Amino acid sequence: MFKWLIRISAFLGKELIEIVRQPRLILTLVLGPFLIMFLFGLASPDQSRALRTTFVATDPNAVQEELKLFTESYKAGIIDMGVETNKELALSQLAAHKTDLVIVIPDNPLETIQDNKRAELEIYHNEVDPIQTGYIETIALIYVNVVNRQILETVTEQGQADSDSLQTNLETAITKTQLLRKTIALSDVNTATQAAELEKDLTDVHENLTTFRSLTSTVMVNPFSGETYSLSEVEFTVTEFFAPSVIALILQHLSITFACLSIVREKRSGIMELFRVAPITAFEALMGKYISYLLFEIILAGLITALAVWVLKIPMLGQWQDYALAVVIVLFTSLGVGFFISLISETDTQAVQYSMLLLLASIFFSGFLMDLRLIKEPITILSWSLPATYGIRMLQDIMLRGSSIPVLIFQGVALIGIALFLVDWLLLRKKMDS
Amino acid sequence: MKNSHATENVIETQELTKMFGKDIAVQTLNMQIQPGTIFGFIGPSGCGKTTTVRLLTGFYRPTSGTLSVLGKNPSNFSNSDREKIGYLIQQFVLYPELTVWENLNFAASFYGVNPFRAGRLNKLLDFVELKEDKNKLARDLSGGMKRRLSLAATMVHNPELLFLDEPTAGIDPILRRKFWDYFKELQVEGRTLFVTTQYVGEAAYCDLVGVMYEGRLLMIETPDGLHRRAYGGDVLAIRTTEGMNSEQRHHLESLPFVHGKVKVIDENENDVIVDEANTAIPSLMEWCLAKNLTVEAIEKKSVPFDDVFVKIIEKEAAHV
Repeated sequence: MFKWLIRISAFLGKELIEIVRQPRLILTLVLGPFLIMFLFGLASPDQSRALRTTFVATDPNAVQEELKLFTESYKAGIIDMGVETNKELALSQLAAHKTDLVIVIPDNPLETIQDNKRAELEIYHNEVDPIQTGYIETIALIYVNVVNRQILETVTEQGQADSDSLQTNLETAITKTQLLRKTIALSDVNTATQAAELEKDLTDVHENLTTFRSLTSTVMVNPFSGETYSLSEVEFTVTEFFAPSVIALILQHLSITFACLSIVREKRSGIMELFRVAPITAFEALMGKYISYLLFEIILAGLITALAVWVLKIPMLGQWQDYALAVVIVLFTSLGVGFFISLISETDTQAVQYSMLLLLASIFFSGFLMDLRLIKEPITILSWSLPATYGIRMLQDIMLRGSSIPVLIFQGVALIGIALFLVDWLLLRKKMDS
Repeated sequence: MKNSHATENVIETQELTKMFGKDIAVQTLNMQIQPGTIFGFIGPSGCGKTTTVRLLTGFYRPTSGTLSVLGKNPSNFSNSDREKIGYLIQQFVLYPELTVWENLNFAASFYGVNPFRAGRLNKLLDFVELKEDKNKLARDLSGGMKRRLSLAATMVHNPELLFLDEPTAGIDPILRRKFWDYFKELQVEGRTLFVTTQYVGEAAYCDLVGVMYEGRLLMIETPDGLHRRAYGGDVLAIRTTEGMNSEQRHHLESLPFVHGKVKVIDENENDVIVDEANTAIPSLMEWCLAKNLTVEAIEKKSVPFDDVFVKIIEKEAAHV
């Protein structure tokens, strides 16, 4: 009566024994992802990359004052590698990757500005990576802004200092005006009114000048400042942010790799011929395989999560039951992908190649490397056909935002998983019947 | 063992043909096999033995003709029908990373054998003499041990009909002999065995032998019948003290129950082909007495099956 259950258990036991018999593999599977996350944490920079910069000035003595401003501004982003008089030499060092940036200072910057023209800083870099190019352009923009601001602050401070004598003169002028107003005859109403207005104007200018002198140059030049606030109560490091994505990606890859080798090996060994003659059905064989791999991978996922949360201190803001549900559904769907590969592959090598292609696609399109919102249509279809995309989204929401499982995402991945199970079943049945 | 097909043929085919594209693998095969028989299916490599087994197990569907195994068309086998069949594939297909015991346990599970089966598995391992090696990984077994493990896995669900595809291929003669001892034991238990082999000498262990050549079943015979079909009768060796002269040989050839020429082995030994050894031996004794020849021995000669097979094939080729 329960023979089908016994037949399912055949694969359950067999697959588990085969895996457990490879302790080194299990150790690699558990410690591998943990080590990757750990090393990623060590490798992640605490701050943005500062650029090694050579300044070029044809006559450094002539621009000695300005040079100090250029070399000492924005030390967070610029590392001063010295002043070079030969532009070509500086560019050759840049080409040889000895420096990251060359800033050419114009010959007479102050004179140019006084002529009501903008003094241009030539900034050279040697990057081909578009992301790094963008970064350097941003740093260059920030640098020029900082330099401009510092010049403005200096000019403002100078103006404030100069206004001191102006204010003394104004006070004298106001006193004189008051005396003048008192000497005007009472019948000369017009003149008295004009004197009073002059006194008032001078007093207003004095007050404005007082305000001007009371403000710091920083406030004058940068009247607004900006502060950003996150709805999330926790601020994450790069490692913490990437941990859920690494877990989702690794779980998908493990499932696919295990499953993709499973049936293809049996096809090659010839045991499929025995299955076709024996009373076992494709459904029973597939169920046995699903259950065994799922059990094993749940344990594996538990170990990887435990190491991530308790050893690497990756935050877990959500509910554990949501996390468990998300992991199980990602594993189930990934197994479906793996068995599908196994059923359409002729050799182990072919199956492994397919699984590596999927891993590559997942790195680029699952939201692991690039935010999903940046991926253009219709490539997003590819993104949303990868279990890792759903896994990353669910684990990030649960672990980092403390949200409950996103229902639509969960239903989407579950639907793909069920569809894959049915396709795999039909394919296996075809192989066992034909 | 209980046999539910005691009276009807366990295997029956009529004009069974299997083609792969335009290539004929099996051509108009007709055979009937009774329960409890060891049926040897003999022929050179590529002659269609495995294809026939695959047709009989339901692995292939026939191109034309009809077949019945255990009273049913294998294409329509239910799970319970399949449980009555054991199939030993030519190559080792079990799992190298599992032990002997685990492999056997796996086979038992996928045939749906009751989980309380340790006793049966031990008995089987005892039968194929692998009990001492039950914790060895399959990958560490020798070729012969792997074949024995495969045989045990084939019998794990107590099938009444066994298809054994070249079970003795690539193993040493001593182990081959042992395998045939196993098969005899299985037969005694009431099972039917359909055994394919390239080793023509193994025909001697079978009740019936089917000779396959280039996709055609040339004949089904008993091992003795094969000899007679090859040589036109039984071969008798006549050993006499005095040498037989040519006149006596001519006279011997003219006897009605003697076929063809007398073959001179040496001065004192001559071979003759007769209709039936049992009836011919007394007549030959009398003939020797009449010709004043002292008989040392007249006995049925055991011609190697290799020679028998070659002779049959030569005859067939000549016929074609």
